[in-house]
Amino acid sequence: MNREALNRFWRIVAILIGALFIYAGVVKALDPVRFAGDIENYHILPWPVGVRLAFYLPWLEILCGLALIFRRLYSGALVLVLALMLVFIGATISAKARGLDISCGCFGHVSDQLSFAWHLVLDLVLITALVLLLFRQRALSRVAG
Amino acid sequence: MKAMLRQSFLLLALACLPAVGQALYYRDKVSWQSPVAASDMVTLAQARAWGGNAIWIDARPEKEFDQQHVPGAVLLNEDRWNELLPQMLATWSPEKRVVIYCSSESCGASREVARRLREEARLQNVFVLEGGWEGWLGRKK
Repeated sequence: MNREALNRFWRIVAILIGALFIYAGVVKALDPVRFAGDIENYHILPWPVGVRLAFYLPWLEILCGLALIFRRLYSGALVLVLALMLVFIGATISAKARGLDISCGCFGHVSDQLSFAWHLVLDLVLITALVLLLFRQRALSRVAG
Repeated sequence: MKAMLRQSFLLLALACLPAVGQALYYRDKVSWQSPVAASDMVTLAQARAWGGNAIWIDARPEKEFDQQHVPGAVLLNEDRWNELLPQMLATWSPEKRVVIYCSSESCGASREVARRLREEARLQNVFVLEGGWEGWLGRKK
């Protein structure tokens, strides 16, 4: 793959991840009360904290998604999206380990039918892509700087 | 690295703006201190005292409902909402109180069913049972 094709490939990956996060954010922002219930189901945070996060996280996801698509605040968005994914995967594993049978709430209730294994696979693919995008961005910044 | 952190903080701060706006819009529609407002919860003793004036709704999965449930309870969960709601509404009348339970105190299904009954079916007098099915079994022991 030549350099230009490689650039284009990673650009498309970033846009796809951005679109995914916008979608996930919009679905949750449309029904924050339901998302608060999903956070509550993890039994990690007290309700007063979870319900506030339910109003905040969807907008953070939307902004990060837009940043990835339009390449504004791009590096910051990559770090935040990666952090969100790591927190989410940690919470999911922790819930599973405690025997909680819950909907992740990640794409509203659209993802209710996804099994735990599929969630993990999807998350790991996303995390890998984000890490690679981050390394690539840092390398490009070094070259530019 | 510095730029990365600066951008992250900027995004974190920017997300506060729409979040605060939306939270203000929802300020009277959300229970900020507990998952269910205390007035929407009911203890087992209270619910039993309502006797025939209460409709019991089991919000657990059908398999668990089939194994055992509160006598007279009607199954209504989110998996088969559209199919089960009309059946539940056929047993409902305005003077009756609706008591919803799921597996335990911490499960979310009863809260969710209660919310949908209030918002979508426009029912009033909808209550979530404290302790859920576990609480019911505990009292029987």
